[in-house]
Amino acid sequence: MTPDFHELKKGGFIKQQGPGLFLMRLRTIGGHLTARDLENLAKVATEYGRGEVHLTTRQGVEIPGVRLEDYQALIEEIKALNLLPGACGPRVRSIVACPGKEVCPNGVLDTREMTREIDRAFFGREVPVKFKIAVAACFNACTKPRENDVGLQGIVYPELVAERCRLCGLCQSICPGGAIKIIDEKVTINRQKCYGDGACIASCPTSAWVEAARGFVVFVGGKMGRNPRLGYKMFDFVPEDEVIPLIDSILTVFEQKRKGQERLADTVKRLGPELFRQLVSFPGPGEALRKANMAR
Amino acid sequence: MAEIRATKRLDITGDCCPITFVKTKLALEEMQPGEILEVLLAEGEPLNNVPRSLKFEGHKIHQVRKVGPNIYSLLVERGEDQ
Ligand code: SF4
Ligand code: SF4
Repeated sequence: MTPDFHELKKGGFIKQQGPGLFLMRLRTIGGHLTARDLENLAKVATEYGRGEVHLTTRQGVEIPGVRLEDYQALIEEIKALNLLPGACGPRVRSIVACPGKEVCPNGVLDTREMTREIDRAFFGREVPVKFKIAVAACFNACTKPRENDVGLQGIVYPELVAERCRLCGLCQSICPGGAIKIIDEKVTINRQKCYGDGACIASCPTSAWVEAARGFVVFVGGKMGRNPRLGYKMFDFVPEDEVIPLIDSILTVFEQKRKGQERLADTVKRLGPELFRQLVSFPGPGEALRKANMAR
Repeated sequence: MAEIRATKRLDITGDCCPITFVKTKLALEEMQPGEILEVLLAEGEPLNNVPRSLKFEGHKIHQVRKVGPNIYSLLVERGEDQ
């Protein structure tokens, strides 16, 4: 059977070393797989490959040792099992994410939901060159957002409900930026020093610190490889519901302004991060941030 | 604030995560609801993580004091059983 070239072009099926052999690349949503997915992966790798897989740096799973003549059957089986084909070539690659709030004690945002939305909106989109997106749920930045074309890093700004405070002193002791100080038996915060890591909200024993605004710091123009560069911190605060339109706009500006085989990092460097930022449409941090008194 | 007296003291300054929290949890489990445990712990990871885990398990922190270079004392009230 002739393979479906349209399917093949979307990527995920890659020529490997050795005659006649290919590898099938699958993606995950932010590295999340169910036990059932793992069973299905094992089954497919045994049936079509050589009973082994490789875990990629972008949280994908590669099955080596697949034959071209088996491609059609394999891709159909993958779809039937709800496994997700990966991408290669000039496309938006699989979105990498940390476990986020649901699991990690430091997480301030639900990365799984955000990643699913980003995947749905952009995965596989054809861009002139490869394009990588990573999401982290706090400023520890485990998924290295700055090494990606677009990197998101969760941030949450606190607000004090003063009458709940029992002056235990905990928030002052754990605030990483030294923003919180107890002065004259009152808890105070210096907004300029707040890192947005949410430690005060998570720890306050009386829940006096509550969440006022939640969103992402967005880094743009990072890349690794031969000439690595860290992304610019281009947007200090992007509310969750602005993330998709923002990435869409970044992709559009990149498509319009890039030259030759430039990665986004090169385009941003050539234009200057400030000009690039001005070209991107972003309505601003919004009401939430003003309410949280964080607007700068 | 009225003086709060601890009936038990636990030193976890030499332990690292997650032993810090596990020891605190076990100590509290041996106490009665309402009793106070004083926990000595190091700043950094233990101070960042132990209090939030205690909150999650329904215990109450009354006071946090710096008692030495990098050492903090927590006064924790054992919560009701869930
Ligand atoms: S980035 Fe933050 S939330 Fe995500 S895994 Fe790392 S420490 Fe946890
Ligand atoms: S942690 Fe909460 S109760 Fe303790 S001083 Fe801070 S705001 Fe007050």
